[in-house]
Amino acid sequence: MWTAFSATFKRQLVTMRRAYPWSFFIGHILDGVYITIFAFLSYHFIFQGELNERFVSYTGTSDYLSYVIMGGVFNSFTVSLLMIVSRMLITEMREGTLEALLLTPSSRLGYFLGAAVQGLMRSGIEWVTIICIGLFFGLNLVSAHLALLIPILAAFCFAIFAQALVLGSFMLAFRDTYITQNTLFVVMMLVSGVSFPPEFLPQWMQCLSRIMPLYYGLDLMRAVMTKAQLSFAILQNLLLLVALGILYFFIGIIFIKQMEKSVFEKHFG
Amino acid sequence: MNLLNVIWAEMKKSHRHNFNNRLMYFSLFVWPVIQFVDSYYAFKPFNLGQDSPLSRFVPVEKLGLFLITGCLAYIFFWSLVQSAWMMGYEREQGTLEIILLTPAPRTLVMFSRAAANLLEAVWLFSIFAVLTILFMGGLHVAHWWLIPIAVVILMLSAIVWGGFLNTIFLFSRDAGFLYTIFEAPMAFFSGVRMPVMAFPLWAKMIAYAFPLTFVLNILRSIVLDGKNLSAIFQPLLELFLILLCLIIASFILVRYAEKHAKETGNLTLF
Amino acid sequence: MLEAKKLVKYYTMKEKSGWFARKKQQIKAVNGLDLTIKRGEIVGLLGVNGAGKTTTIKMLSTLLAPTSGTLSIDGIDALQQPEAIKRRINMIAGGERMLYWRLSARENLMYFGRLYGLRGSALKNQCDELIKKVGLAESADRPVERYSKGMKQRLQIARGLINDPDYLFLDEPTLGLDAPVARQLRGMVKDLAKKKNKGILLTSHYLEEVEELCDHVYIIEKGHLLLHDTPTRIIQTIVKDRILLVVMDRLTQEDWTWLRQELDNRGIHTQKNETDEGTQLDMTAPFDLTAQFIALTHQRNFHLLRLESKKPNLEDAIIRLAEERELL
Ligand SMILES: Nc1ncnc2c1ncn2[C@@H]1O[C@H](COP(=O)(O)OP(=O)(O)OP(=O)(O)O)[C@@H](O)[C@H]1O
Ligand SMILES: [Mg+2]
Repeated sequence: MWTAFSATFKRQLVTMRRAYPWSFFIGHILDGVYITIFAFLSYHFIFQGELNERFVSYTGTSDYLSYVIMGGVFNSFTVSLLMIVSRMLITEMREGTLEALLLTPSSRLGYFLGAAVQGLMRSGIEWVTIICIGLFFGLNLVSAHLALLIPILAAFCFAIFAQALVLGSFMLAFRDTYITQNTLFVVMMLVSGVSFPPEFLPQWMQCLSRIMPLYYGLDLMRAVMTKAQLSFAILQNLLLLVALGILYFFIGIIFIKQMEKSVFEKHFG
Repeated sequence: MNLLNVIWAEMKKSHRHNFNNRLMYFSLFVWPVIQFVDSYYAFKPFNLGQDSPLSRFVPVEKLGLFLITGCLAYIFFWSLVQSAWMMGYEREQGTLEIILLTPAPRTLVMFSRAAANLLEAVWLFSIFAVLTILFMGGLHVAHWWLIPIAVVILMLSAIVWGGFLNTIFLFSRDAGFLYTIFEAPMAFFSGVRMPVMAFPLWAKMIAYAFPLTFVLNILRSIVLDGKNLSAIFQPLLELFLILLCLIIASFILVRYAEKHAKETGNLTLF
Repeated sequence: MLEAKKLVKYYTMKEKSGWFARKKQQIKAVNGLDLTIKRGEIVGLLGVNGAGKTTTIKMLSTLLAPTSGTLSIDGIDALQQPEAIKRRINMIAGGERMLYWRLSARENLMYFGRLYGLRGSALKNQCDELIKKVGLAESADRPVERYSKGMKQRLQIARGLINDPDYLFLDEPTLGLDAPVARQLRGMVKDLAKKKNKGILLTSHYLEEVEELCDHVYIIEKGHLLLHDTPTRIIQTIVKDRILLVVMDRLTQEDWTWLRQELDNRGIHTQKNETDEGTQLDMTAPFDLTAQFIALTHQRNFHLLRLESKKPNLEDAIIRLAEERELL
C-alpha cells in the first residue's frame, strides 16, 4: 500500500507542477469568494445589518458574515477535495490508462490516498486563499483551539475522502463527471448550511443534511474557529462525522470494487 | 437564405449531439430549480418583515417573483454556455477544422449555433418558471402584449451572448477558465439574486458589464413594475448598443482567430 | 490545374522554459516546395514522418496560410480568394476524427452539406448517392460511434465528396484499414480521378498503394523536394539492380566453371547454393538479364526447374534513397 501511495503521490505532484490546474484553482477560489461577496452585499447594502431572530436562535451567533464566509470557505474546500479524488479513476479511463493501472497488483486504497494527500496540498492552498480574502469582508476568527482543530480537520478530511470514493464509483457507473459531481454539489450547497442554517428548510430536506459530511464539518469548524464557547455538542458531532466517514468508506470501497469489475464489460462490450 | 440553412443545420446537429442524453436536463432543469430554492432561502437569515430594508428595492412579498424572473433569464444565458463548451469537443474531434474547410460564413455559424441550442435548452425550466409565477401571483403588467416583447428581447440577447461565447470558447483550450471569468460573476453581479440598485459603485460597474443586467432590468420592469414601453425605452436602447458591440466583437474575434489558426496551425489563442 | 510555387511554412513555437519565460523556436515544416496537380491525375506525396506532408496538404486546402509562396487553383489565387477555392476542394484525413460521433452518417453528411450551401432535394440526393457509393446504405442511420474504423473512413470519403470537389487531398486515407477495404478505397480513388476527372493528391505510408495509384510522385524530406517523377522512372533511376533467381538440375563442376566465366564476362554477379531441389543461382545485374541467361542455358541444354525475376518496387527505391542520403 505504501508504494502505491507514494507512487501516486509523486505522479500527481509532478502533474501538478508541470501543469497547475489554474482553472480549477481559480474556479474554486472564486466560488468561495462569490459566496462571500453575496453575503457581504446582502448584509451591508440590502439589509443594512438587520437579521432575523430565528437566525440567531438557530446558530447561536449574530455574526452573519462570519457564518456565511466560513460556509463559503469550507464548501470550496470540500468541492475541491471531492473532485480531486473522485475523478481519479474516470480520468484514467478517459486517458486510456485504467487498464494499465488495474493490471498492476497495487493497492487501490494506497492509490486513492496518494491522490487525496496530494490533493490536500492543492485544496489547502485554495482554502488559505479564501480565508485570507474572507478576512477583508468581515470574517472574524477567534483564537482557534488547536487541540480540537486538528482532530476535527482530520476527521473532516477523512469523511470527505470517503464520500469521494462513493462519488467516484457513481461517476464510473454513469461514465460522467460533469452531471454527477455538480448534482451532488448543488444539493450539498443547499442542505449543508453553507449560506443559511438548514433549520430554515422543510423537515424532509433536513434529513439530507445528515448525510453530508460538510454539514457536520461546518458546524464543528464554526464552533472552534469563530465562536469562543465550546460545548458537548462538539464531541457529539465529531463522533457522528467519524461514523459517517466510516460508513461512506466501506460503501465506497465496495462500490469501487464492483465498478472496476463491470467497467471492462461495458467498456469493451 | 443561407442563414436559415445554417441555422437549420446547426439545429439538427445539436439536437442529436447535445440533447441525446437525457442527463442533460439535470443541468438545464434540476440544478436551476435547486439553485432557485437556494437563492430564496439565502435571504431567510435576514429581516424579511414589513419593515425590511429590502423593500427599498423590492417589495418583500415580491421577493419570490424577483428571484424566479432572475433565474429564468439566467438560465437562458447559462444554457448557451453549456453549448459553447461543445466547441472544445469540436476542436479535439477535428470537426471544427472541417467547418473551417467549408465556405460557410464563420460568424454566422457561431450565432446560429447559439440560436439552434436555445429553445431546446430552456423550455423545461421556462415551464417551471411560468407555473411558479402563476402560483405565486402578484404579476403586474401594463399591457399584455409587452410579455411577448419581453420574451423576444430575452431570447435575442441570449443568442447574441451565446454567439459571443461560442466565438471565445472556440479558440481557447481551457473552457473552465473562461467560464470562471465570463459566466460565474454574471450570476452574482447581474442582479439574478440581488437588486443591482442596492450595490455600491464598484459592484454596479461590474454589473453593467453584463448584458444580462440590462435584460433583467427590462424584464422586471415589464412583469413586476408594470412599466409601459416608453418607460423602458432608454434601457432598451442601452441593451441594443451593448448587443451591437458584442456582435462586432465576435465578428472581429472570429476573423482574427481564423487568421491565427492559419498561421500557427493551431486553433487555440490563449 | 492546381499550382503551388515555392511554398514555405515556418511554424513558430513558443516553448515554456520555466514559469513565465517563453522560448521562441522556428520549425521549417515546408521549405520552398513546387507542386502541380492536373485534373484527372493522382499525385503522390511521400516522405518520412515529419517531412511536412500534412502541412503541405493543409496549405493546399487553405487551412494554413503559407509563410511565403503562391497557390492558385484553376487560375484563382487561393490566398486572395479562399472562399471561392473552398467550394472546389476538399480534404480527407485518415483516422477516426473529423466526424460527429453521436450523429449518424446521414446526419453528418447533411450537416456538412448545408455548410456548403446545399439544401432541399439536391442535398438529400447528394447524401443518398454518396452513402450508396461508399457502401454505408444499411448503417446510414446508426450513430457513427458504433461504426468500425473502415466504416468511419468510408464516411470520411463521403464527407470529402459532399461538395463534389474538383481537387481532393487525401492524407493517409488507408491508415489502419484492412487489405480488402483498402483495395476498395483505392479503386474508388482511381475512379474519382479517371472517370470523374478530379485532381487528387495522396499521401500514404503504404508504398504499393502509391505505386499502384499515382501518376506522379513527389518525394520530400524536411520540407524540401527531393525527387519528382513517375513511380516507374523513380524506381529505374534509383534501383538499378535486377535480380534473377534460378533453380536448375545439379550442375557438374565443369558446367559451373563455364557458366561462371560466361556470367562474369557479362558483368553479372552470381551466388551459388546447393539445395535439395538442385543448384540455386542468385544473379544480380544493373539490367534485365533474363534473356541473356536463357540464351546461355540453351547453349548447354541445362534443365531449368524454376525461374523468378524480381522487379524492384517503390519501397526498394525509397529505402535505397534513404540509405544514400544517410551516406552523404
Ligand atoms: N501546429 C504545429 N505547430 C508547430 N509545429 C508543427 C505543427 N504541425 C506540424 N509541425 C511540425 O512540422 C513538421 C512537419 O509536420 P507534418 O505534420 O507536416 O509532417 P508529416 O509529413 O505529415 O508527418 P507524418 O508522416 O508523421 O504525418 C514536423 O516537424 C512537426 O513537428
Ligand atoms: Mg501527416
